[in-house]
Amino acid sequence: MMIATLVEWEQLGEAVLASVVAGVGVTFVFSIAIWGVARFVDLSRDERPLAAGAAALAAAFALACTAAVVVVGIIAMTSK
Amino acid sequence: MSSDIILFIVVGTALAFDFTNGFHDTANVVATSISTGAARPQVAIGMAALLNFIGAFISISVAATVANDVVNADVITPTIVFAGLIGAIAWNLITWYFGLPSSSSHALIGGVVGSAVAAVGFDAVLTEGLVGKVLVPAIVAPILAFGVAGASIAIVYRVVGKQRPGIVTRGFKYGQIVSGGLLALAHGTNDAQKTMGIITLALIANGSLGAGADPPLWVITSAAIAIALGTYSGGWRIIKTTGTGIIKMDAAQGFSSQGAGSAVILASTHFGFPLSTTHVINGGIMGAGAAKRFSAVRWGVAGNIVTAWLLTLPAAAAIGALTYGVTRIFGTGALGPIVVTLASLSLIVALFARRAERGSPVPASTG
Repeated sequence: MMIATLVEWEQLGEAVLASVVAGVGVTFVFSIAIWGVARFVDLSRDERPLAAGAAALAAAFALACTAAVVVVGIIAMTSK
Repeated sequence: MSSDIILFIVVGTALAFDFTNGFHDTANVVATSISTGAARPQVAIGMAALLNFIGAFISISVAATVANDVVNADVITPTIVFAGLIGAIAWNLITWYFGLPSSSSHALIGGVVGSAVAAVGFDAVLTEGLVGKVLVPAIVAPILAFGVAGASIAIVYRVVGKQRPGIVTRGFKYGQIVSGGLLALAHGTNDAQKTMGIITLALIANGSLGAGADPPLWVITSAAIAIALGTYSGGWRIIKTTGTGIIKMDAAQGFSSQGAGSAVILASTHFGFPLSTTHVINGGIMGAGAAKRFSAVRWGVAGNIVTAWLLTLPAAAAIGALTYGVTRIFGTGALGPIVVTLASLSLIVALFARRAERGSPVPASTG
């Protein structure tokens, strides 16, 4: 009961939420980028240029998202 | 004059503490990248040192917590800060000697709280800050890193599980260069600030700064240099030991654990929570390991970490209190800190000599 009143639950909750979103989010979008590259290689080998192009596009977009999340995350988390 | 001498000793001791923090934590920050082959040791350590240095400049929230929210700065003297630092360093050396994993951050806070209680009584402790900003986040953070890393690796395996292993591994190795860098940055941000906070507390106690003041630029810069130098010079020997003892993990697990650790440390830094970065990083590694195969994690090691964590705060507090008592035997001037410093240096030399005779232990993790 006493501890409950001493902890700033709102701040702690925001830190937990930010950690989950940033940690899981970055890994997810980066996985999509790797999936895109792997699919691009396979589809190019199978001579399916349209599908390969789409996979490459997905990879590039996911990679850009990863970079954006990292940069925005650092700026947001380290500025008051 | 006397108080200036004590302040000089406190600043020197704090920077020495910061150096050892970087020295010990190098392995935690870069071991995952090295063990998966994502980076060569020289490159990983050099990059970690540089990013620790940069990280020290990007926030002062944690420093403000350590300086203003843990103990009442109005009743603190430089001698109390000195005794707390000695308590932290002594506990770090004891755990290092016996090969026990421990947290420098918790030792630092425990030491200062112990010496403050010995000097002034429990009124010196700001219970709200200690519990709300230190103890509860210290429990939540490693568990959170465990969960985030576990969830992340589960998603990774679902997304890329059916793709060619070669491409996936290569991709995550490249990713680890970024995630490892981010972890080093996060580490510098949170850990260097603890030293900044302690030096700022000593400056406030000495009357050189007003209550609630932010760390001056020279404090930030010197703390950044100390942790970066420690990171760069400490890595080689520790990596050699830790690199062989770490659980073999794949690049995707390395990326997930580093990403989770970085996210938790950076988010906590934003709110000024001084964490044990080692506990967070280890929590992430265990989460990434357990999500793949529960038995892959050395749960005995996890138990040791928990035991050491439980012991660190009270043990460092007890040594801090004892040190304060010893300094007071010599009065309130600079003589007490000088005698304790000389005695501590002699003990450290003796400890290292004895350790060298018996062979190197597995170094204790600190953070």
